[in-house]
Amino acid sequence: MDIITQENPTETTISLELRGRFDAHEADMFRAAVDQAIDNNNVQIRVDLANVEFVDSTALAELVRGMKRCREQRGDLVLVHPSDPVRVILELTKLDAAFDIV
Amino acid sequence: MTELSTLNSSKLDAYRAWSTTPIESRPRYSVVIPAYNEEWRIVPTIGAIATHMSSLGEPWELIVADDGSTDTTVELVDDLDLVNLTLLVAEKNGGKGSAVRRGMLAASGELILFADADQSTPIEQIESLVDQINAGHDVVVGSRAAAGAEVANKSLSRKIFSSGLGFIVRGLFRIPVADTQCGFKLFTADAADLLFRRQLVDEFSFDLEILYLAGKFGLSTAEVPVTWIDAPGSKVDAAKVAVEFIRDLAVIRWNDLRGRYESDNHQASAAG
Repeated sequence: MDIITQENPTETTISLELRGRFDAHEADMFRAAVDQAIDNNNVQIRVDLANVEFVDSTALAELVRGMKRCREQRGDLVLVHPSDPVRVILELTKLDAAFDIV
Repeated sequence: MTELSTLNSSKLDAYRAWSTTPIESRPRYSVVIPAYNEEWRIVPTIGAIATHMSSLGEPWELIVADDGSTDTTVELVDDLDLVNLTLLVAEKNGGKGSAVRRGMLAASGELILFADADQSTPIEQIESLVDQINAGHDVVVGSRAAAGAEVANKSLSRKIFSSGLGFIVRGLFRIPVADTQCGFKLFTADAADLLFRRQLVDEFSFDLEILYLAGKFGLSTAEVPVTWIDAPGSKVDAAKVAVEFIRDLAVIRWNDLRGRYESDNHQASAAG
């Protein structure tokens, strides 16, 4: 999986565009990107999932962890344009109710 | 929060129709997922499979063949409430081969795929297997060893196991398949019925038995390269399975010599 990071220097917002398969093999890389963003006070994280074809349970857990960390800092982790299979997986796991999805 | 139901695409529409409306005609496809203690992996896999298969525009059914799970796999799958999903519950763990057999013999599709619960072979690759069925083959095997296959994150023990098995299978058993163990195989309904009614091996080497029987009964088998991603949390103990595999090679040959494959050993029922 690739992560393309795009910061907005005037705001506390950062975009993480993920590409490929987001599974347990990629969890450490994603966690590091989220933690670095929060450490840099980018507590509004937009995770673009348009080009992610599959997320496993470990990936979902990482998304939830990131969302909780952001909300603790009065920010949020927002899911952007999840691909169709990822949308369905979010629905089936009922995580669609937990995240802000745009 | 954004309601996902307001975000529509043709794929999502197809999935929603499949998930709520019972199919009325014979399925073109059945997808069988064997599941033993898969509570951590099964739901995302079902989501990926359901989205893609629904997008193909043909009636299809999903069968989850539990293998006596002691975790919450059965409850999780049951709670999904997908009308074209059949859950086969086993009272006790009988081995992956027994779970696959129950699923295959309960399936009613014209083409029947069994796919592992970890989505290690992404479902999108079913089309290349279907192409080979349409070309006249009865059994099509997803292969990590065929030219063009892509394998990611495979452990060293699995590599040694696979190459060793491949040598034994091709050299001693004369099965012309480089990768017998990939959990992504497609069968015509007639081939599945013939083979899985006769299957006797309930453990991991049931694939080998099925391919041996395909050759014995003159079925045409093709091998298609796939992209395969080793899913963390695999339950396969390569060393243990290798020993069982070699033992089962002898068992399969012995069964054949004794004529145990000449007639059905199982009935086509979900209770199998």
